[in-house]
Amino acid sequence: MAKARQWEPLDEMSVTPVLDLRGVDKSFGPVQVLHGAALSAYAGEVTALVGDNGAGKSTLIKCLGGMLPMDGGEYLFEGRPVRVGSPREAAALGIEIVHQDLALCENLDVVQNMFLGRERRSGMVLDEAAMEEMAARTLTGLSVRTIKSVRQPISSLSGGQRQSVAIARAMLWDSKVVVLDEPTSALGVAQSRQVLEVVRRLADRGRAVVLVSHNMNDVFAVADRICVMFLGRTVAQVRASDVTHAQVVELITSGRSGDGVEAGRPVPVHGRGTGPGGGAGRG
Amino acid sequence: MMRAAPSPEEVRRHNLGTLLRHIHLRGSASRAELAEGMGLNRSTIMALTSELTAAGVVREELPRSTGRRAGRPSLVVRPESTRVYVLAFQIGVHRLVAARVGLGGVILDRRETTRPRGPFDPDEIVGVLASFTRQLVRRADPDAVCVGAGAAFSGMVRSSDGMVRYGPNIGAVDVSLGEMLSRRLGLGLTVAIANNANLGALAEHRRGVGVGCQNLLYLHADVGVGGGIIVGGRLLEGADGYGGEVGHMVVNPAGRRCGCGSRGCLEAEVGELALLAHAGREDAVAELGGREAVQAVLEAADRGDSAAREALHRVGDWLGLGVANLVNVFNPEMVIFGGTLRDIYLGAAAQVRSRLATGAMAASRERVRLRTAELGEDTTLVGAAELAFSEVLNDPLEVLARLRTGAAAGRPLRDRSGSRV
Ligand SMILES: Nc1ncnc2c1ncn2[C@@H]1O[C@H](COP(=O)(O)OP(=O)(O)OP(=O)(O)O)[C@@H](O)[C@H]1O
Ligand SMILES: [Mg+2]
Repeated sequence: MAKARQWEPLDEMSVTPVLDLRGVDKSFGPVQVLHGAALSAYAGEVTALVGDNGAGKSTLIKCLGGMLPMDGGEYLFEGRPVRVGSPREAAALGIEIVHQDLALCENLDVVQNMFLGRERRSGMVLDEAAMEEMAARTLTGLSVRTIKSVRQPISSLSGGQRQSVAIARAMLWDSKVVVLDEPTSALGVAQSRQVLEVVRRLADRGRAVVLVSHNMNDVFAVADRICVMFLGRTVAQVRASDVTHAQVVELITSGRSGDGVEAGRPVPVHGRGTGPGGGAGRG
Repeated sequence: MMRAAPSPEEVRRHNLGTLLRHIHLRGSASRAELAEGMGLNRSTIMALTSELTAAGVVREELPRSTGRRAGRPSLVVRPESTRVYVLAFQIGVHRLVAARVGLGGVILDRRETTRPRGPFDPDEIVGVLASFTRQLVRRADPDAVCVGAGAAFSGMVRSSDGMVRYGPNIGAVDVSLGEMLSRRLGLGLTVAIANNANLGALAEHRRGVGVGCQNLLYLHADVGVGGGIIVGGRLLEGADGYGGEVGHMVVNPAGRRCGCGSRGCLEAEVGELALLAHAGREDAVAELGGREAVQAVLEAADRGDSAAREALHRVGDWLGLGVANLVNVFNPEMVIFGGTLRDIYLGAAAQVRSRLATGAMAASRERVRLRTAELGEDTTLVGAAELAFSEVLNDPLEVLARLRTGAAAGRPLRDRSGSRV
């Protein structure tokens, strides 16, 4: 199996990954599901975590978020080794995980959800008006324009709007790492578009974002890096600008790429027959 | 040749313009932040803000509290957005928009209509926009002042005189649209006019996703495909203002016929007509109108309709090839997709980026960021507003003089020339 490859960071600012998991092993009873898995995430970048069903993505995310203990491996946060034994410890480091079920309270409004469980952490006494303004400002900061009022209950929002609120909550609380597990899988085209744009902005505002997704199009729309898992192993960590769709699909399905992307060799053109690679005159 | 030292008047004009631009583009700021940002001492900043405050262009107030904090908060300088405004117009193939946009870039009020596709009738367009303008001006505050007007046009515009030359999809040939509109509005203002995608580039560069990027490409599609290119922080205009027409870059010489008479232009391969034709939905434009028709293809593709999916991938492939060429030529920091290309990019990013990976040289593409327009559907309108504001920001003195005398209250200011970006 090809070794996971670390690529040069995209720019000087992000030399040290905010989050760096290496050689992670994890077994459930006799079954080992992670074999030396790795994942790095950088400030200002979206790292897509991809792999087939059962490849181990959720397990790796649970280790990252302190929901499952790692059997072996290194966990570095901002370059320092840390021990993350519980979700609370992950949150204290500034790691926010937006699960697919979101954990928003249906009956509470947008403001209440964004401040839920955090009132005390800030050490500052906030009045309702201030919380309302901060919630509204955070949503505006992410250019979320479709939510009419921050006093709307969550139950009145669309799926895309709910995702946006969950992401804005991570933004508001100054998380350094935000992990999004399949944020668009349950959404239609227009709402997915909205969420993808918010995900991108979250990274552009300086967060390290990890996006777990099966949708290659979403991955290419927003990712700076792609981390591919295959049968519990990380088979490639590549820059999204260096690979083609076909290569990533090959890595996902076979754990390797015929043209050796995972080893960083040059990439040949893949003609699709219908586009620029196809025969002349097919327009 | 040595330049003479600037006169105190010139220095004042420059500083006022810089401060106003700062507030206009970056929003409210404290005097301390302004001093820091402009590299001036606090007493100079105080003199400048007092002058602008007295004229009613900005106001100074205490920041709204966001919690209890110790110490006395410092005053914040805010733009008087409802008092100082411009008129912005968007003249598209099938959409006309007029808006009142306040200092600071807030869209205060807007009117819009769709226009049937068909021959371009300048009188009709000017008539609709003039009537919108009357409604917009009537609803402004009594003491509000209009300080400029700008229009974004979906076609080529000569920079020397604002002459609308040609739009493959809009059908105009050599019309002094800006002049006609200025006359018809009867507000004593010259309407500055420029290409819509160029203005979209400007808008995203100044207040969208491209803030801080000195080299960017903005690609915009409605019916046609246009482009705006910012190089070294400046819009690339070319000799006559026609620069940046990336939609008519030939990517497929044996490809589809283009409205411009050529074949296989980027526009012909990725414009909405190409998408709809590949998806077998040519009639949808008439039934649904462009944007909705494109949206319908994306939704069908998402549901698994193979014709729609194939059409989207094909268009995405050509778009990626076009972007790869542009990235090789311009080495931009960012490529921004606006108009319906925003939807196309998000729906066909796998194709676009695969083409970019194989078609652009690694050194040119490795740092380029692909983004969608942050100003959403208002990029070109916001760009038109920026064009309209440019004169008052370049020379706020005359505007101040008029505001101070109060002669202009309730009436628009007279502009001296049809200045451009
Ligand atoms: N609690 C558990 N006990 C036993 N096996 C488990 C447990 N959780 C996960 N597994 C197994 O570990 C492997 C990896 O599962 P994981 O959920 O991490 O995959 P995934 O990559 O997230 O897949 P998907 O894309 O379907 O979400 C699977 O074979 C799964 O059956
Ligand atoms: Mg999973």
